[in-house]
Amino acid sequence: MSEHEHREPVSFSRAKATDPHMQPAAKDPVGMERRIAILFILAFGLFAAFGACYWVNASAWTLGATMGGGLLLLGVGLVAWGKYLMPKGPFVEERHDMASSSEDRDAFAATIVERGGGIVKRRPVLGGLLGAGVGVFSLVAIFPLLRSLGPNPGNTLLVTDWKKKAHLVDSTGRRIHVDDLSIGSAVTVFPKGYENDDQAQSMDQTILIRIADHDITTQKGRETWGPQGYVAYSKLCTHLGCPVGLYERELKLLVCPCHQSMFDVTNGAIPNFGPAPRPLPQLPLYVDSEGYLRAQNGFDEPVGPGFWERK
Amino acid sequence: MTHSLTLKKPVAVALSAMVLFGALSLFAGAAGASPKQAPYQTGRYNAGTPNSSVVVEKDGTVVKYGNGSIVYILPSAALVDLGHALYSANCAACHGVDANGVPPHSAQTSYANVHAGAYPNLQGVGPAAVDFWIESGRMPAAAGTDVQAVRRPQRLTHKQALAIAAFIDTLTTNPGLPYVPSVNLKSASLATGADLFALNCAACHTITGGGDALAFGTYAPSLRHVPANQVVEAIRTGPGNMPRFSGNLSDAQVRDIVAYVTEYIQHPTNPGGLGLGGLGPVAEGFIGLALGVGLLCLAAFWVGERQ
Amino acid sequence: MTDIAVNTKRAKKAQAGPYGKVGQALNGLDDRLGVAKGGRTFMDKIFPDHWSFMLGEIALYSFVVLLVTGIFLTLYYVPSSSIVTYHGPYLPLDGQKFSEAYASSINLSFSVRAGLLMRQMHHWACDIFVGSIVVHMCRVFFTGAFRKPRELNWSIGLTLLTLAIVNGFIGYSLPDDLVSGTGIRIAYSIILSIPVVGTHLAFWLFGGNFPGTVILGRFYAIHILILPLVILGLVGAHLGLLVRQKHTQFPGEGRTEKNVVGSPMFPIFMAKTTGFLFLVGGAIALLGAFAQINPIWQFGPYDNIAKISYAVQPDWYMGFLDGALRIFPAWSFHSFGYTIPIEVLFPAVILPGIVFTLGYLWPNLEARITKDDEIHNLLDRPRDRPHRTAAGAGILSLLFMLFIASSTDVIANYMHISLNEVLIAMRVLVLVSPFIGYAVAYYICKELQGVEKAGKRKTHNIVTRTATGEYVTVAAPMNVNDMHAELHAVPVPNYIEDDAVAASASSTAGVRTVDR
Repeated sequence: MSEHEHREPVSFSRAKATDPHMQPAAKDPVGMERRIAILFILAFGLFAAFGACYWVNASAWTLGATMGGGLLLLGVGLVAWGKYLMPKGPFVEERHDMASSSEDRDAFAATIVERGGGIVKRRPVLGGLLGAGVGVFSLVAIFPLLRSLGPNPGNTLLVTDWKKKAHLVDSTGRRIHVDDLSIGSAVTVFPKGYENDDQAQSMDQTILIRIADHDITTQKGRETWGPQGYVAYSKLCTHLGCPVGLYERELKLLVCPCHQSMFDVTNGAIPNFGPAPRPLPQLPLYVDSEGYLRAQNGFDEPVGPGFWERK
Repeated sequence: MTHSLTLKKPVAVALSAMVLFGALSLFAGAAGASPKQAPYQTGRYNAGTPNSSVVVEKDGTVVKYGNGSIVYILPSAALVDLGHALYSANCAACHGVDANGVPPHSAQTSYANVHAGAYPNLQGVGPAAVDFWIESGRMPAAAGTDVQAVRRPQRLTHKQALAIAAFIDTLTTNPGLPYVPSVNLKSASLATGADLFALNCAACHTITGGGDALAFGTYAPSLRHVPANQVVEAIRTGPGNMPRFSGNLSDAQVRDIVAYVTEYIQHPTNPGGLGLGGLGPVAEGFIGLALGVGLLCLAAFWVGERQ
Repeated sequence: MTDIAVNTKRAKKAQAGPYGKVGQALNGLDDRLGVAKGGRTFMDKIFPDHWSFMLGEIALYSFVVLLVTGIFLTLYYVPSSSIVTYHGPYLPLDGQKFSEAYASSINLSFSVRAGLLMRQMHHWACDIFVGSIVVHMCRVFFTGAFRKPRELNWSIGLTLLTLAIVNGFIGYSLPDDLVSGTGIRIAYSIILSIPVVGTHLAFWLFGGNFPGTVILGRFYAIHILILPLVILGLVGAHLGLLVRQKHTQFPGEGRTEKNVVGSPMFPIFMAKTTGFLFLVGGAIALLGAFAQINPIWQFGPYDNIAKISYAVQPDWYMGFLDGALRIFPAWSFHSFGYTIPIEVLFPAVILPGIVFTLGYLWPNLEARITKDDEIHNLLDRPRDRPHRTAAGAGILSLLFMLFIASSTDVIANYMHISLNEVLIAMRVLVLVSPFIGYAVAYYICKELQGVEKAGKRKTHNIVTRTATGEYVTVAAPMNVNDMHAELHAVPVPNYIEDDAVAASASSTAGVRTVDR
């Protein structure tokens, strides 16, 4: 192609650039060089500005804009250099087979099989003992590696701190009085004394809702569990343990904010939509002589998501 | 911190005078026979908080109560006649002449309507609730068959809203509560507000206050353009599916939440650049993939050869 | 070259050999390590230039950005869940008590110079890292680059994707904010769901029941030490195998199974790829500057386990798991006093297990089905392998719909439809999507196979009427922009050898015109 011959030779190479492949791709290499130079100068300026911005502790976006802009210009310039000013190519290289010659392969296989196999076959007892030693070590090593990481679950996942006669308190530790909530109110409660403990919160959190002004029965056998319209359910979703903190007053639904399981609070928090497989456990309540809400008893089943040992 | 005291200055002066009078009258033991019971905020609710240090009575009716955080005011009785006229023109068609509600319309077949009813009884909902629905533009409703009324430009003025609230409050002998609040954000604690917002509000409105879709066609509206007093009204009355926060939040706590909402939820500082609508990883993933990976793929298209 | 220059060079030669101080240094290196021969070969190594081969470089260079910004972040982050009282410029958090991890994350965002930029760049780089790995793997899959002899490198790549996702999730959890805390809670419950050993695994990882006090420290060790080392090692192996096996190339003029056509490592490829490193770094820095990511100060601390925000999505690469968890029905298996929470186990453990296992086995499965034991260095056009392309499209459709299912709430909110209906619709869409994806891709492939020069502009057919009334149809010449001069590939020119060699190399060069 004739235009190749009329081009200026590239300056960086020692090669005698008679080969058209050694020509740059740019039609106007001098102009391209000038443009790239401008990019580099601008990049240089932006990096200086980055330094200045850092020095005066300017806002995050000025730092990012100067640094990012500089890097971008530097990158465009460098790519353009490689793409337009360096030999255009294309160039070729032979590709050699990965595979070795069949003699080499045979020799290698023979080394492994005959030498290694022969030695072990000659001393079968030693081989067996070595294997047993390594095996036992691997097995035993699991204990310090895994077992010391944490305790056994025991019954941790099966019980909560809700005990007979426990007071219901809010996150500030204030006891909840039967007059406190109006109909349609909801509040997160904990057993008194456990409201500030992360570990306890993660199991004990319970949502107390007032849905009516008369005693309510959510299910058979739970006739006394909802005094004066109050019901309390474990706030741990039975799907993945997110706090079921989303109460829809008119629909009388508790919704899990994570995966949108919906629980009917008038009917024992049976899930009526979404992935949660079980109702939220209900906490039996009573109003004591002073008018404070307390638990008749703990939850009658494990709270939260499912796991193997859950009966 | 900016203070958005919503009362105009002369009104504030007048109110302060009334507050002073009320306090004095309390000290004087002016506890005459009251035709309407004292508002619940003066009762056991919020025990241990400085709530309701101020109660103003006029002719034995409580017209105003509250404290340094929020003052709740009964709309003036002088507005009742205006309110009656406005009610008949704008509200009675759905809620009934006596505001005692109408069962769901046959067109309202959604889960929400069937379970929650529609055209609710307004007797005893209190002036704050009436004021909230009207001032947020939700009432008069755009379409009575909607699962949930939408916030839109206000149809009736502030005064008209108060008038209707005053009229509805006359329909029952028991006091409709709460009264129309006026919040004083002075000395609000943003830290407490942010903490309580995460505990009580974020589960529905999201932690950035953008709102989101909830069960069966209902949704938690965005908090981005809600005036301070409407936030108080919503918290205290629980409009629609929102739970009512009455005894479980003190007036000071409500004030803190309102301060956090009107300052940081509505005007996030966004020191990191564009806020991306507060949508979190959904928007971030879109930007990262479309802008980040997409543009870099285009860059690769330029850097490499195309044949 | 002027005489003066020659004289100068001779003068230097006398002192320092023909290549000056650099030459001396290289000789010194070669004396000790013997790098000259291999180094020369490496410098001449040919890399094919096709743009789609650079997608993996986006991943590589965003990993570089991750390492650099990550080192910065480790200097300020404290992986401790002990409670401190924070004081700082962000008023809603000022005076609050929360974990030192969260406090240090807030502190490095607000009080450390360039800290917020580094945090945002780190997070954006992660989103782009995983995204470009996926795009790169799609290129490798659809062009058949995973076939023998590159099955091992495909497996390494898939492992890198897995580790990137895991480490991304762990890093997302470190700030101990409300949203990431919820994410850890979900991860804990997913581990619990594994039959027989689940509870023990969860207790070992968390040092007891959720939340415990050790998880941040352990996540920190995994995030900044263990997984980065493994990823770094595997990236090294990935590139080592690439160099050893040489890159694949698309078929074309002068390209065979036995050669590689492209640009030499030094200087052309090196210039382009280093420039590309700067481009990736610059793009990430600009994102970090202008697009706010993961504003943990808005989310607040995870100081009360009962706190929750609605619409808590994980980062995009975990979206398919979250979507699967949302749409899977409430099927829990309960018998003999034991529970298998299938509603969690299947979408969060078994489903990704199946997808990734299929990925690992694919090269062998395909070879077995096609009975193809040959070495392949030339790539397929996706349309020429319609079943493979369709299978890939099917899996991608499934994963994409699961990903969409993780934002059911956002869809419902913006389209003003019921969340419940969106969820049910997603269940259907997820089930049918792989089949639709397969069928659509298959028929597109079949259609494209029948089209010559697909993607090129059509040429006109010129119909002329001769004087005798005869009609003649002549094809117009090809569009000028679709023609371009292209050289045949030649061996790498020798920059340092004499003219004769260079001239002989050039003699093999020819010029041809091809249509693109």
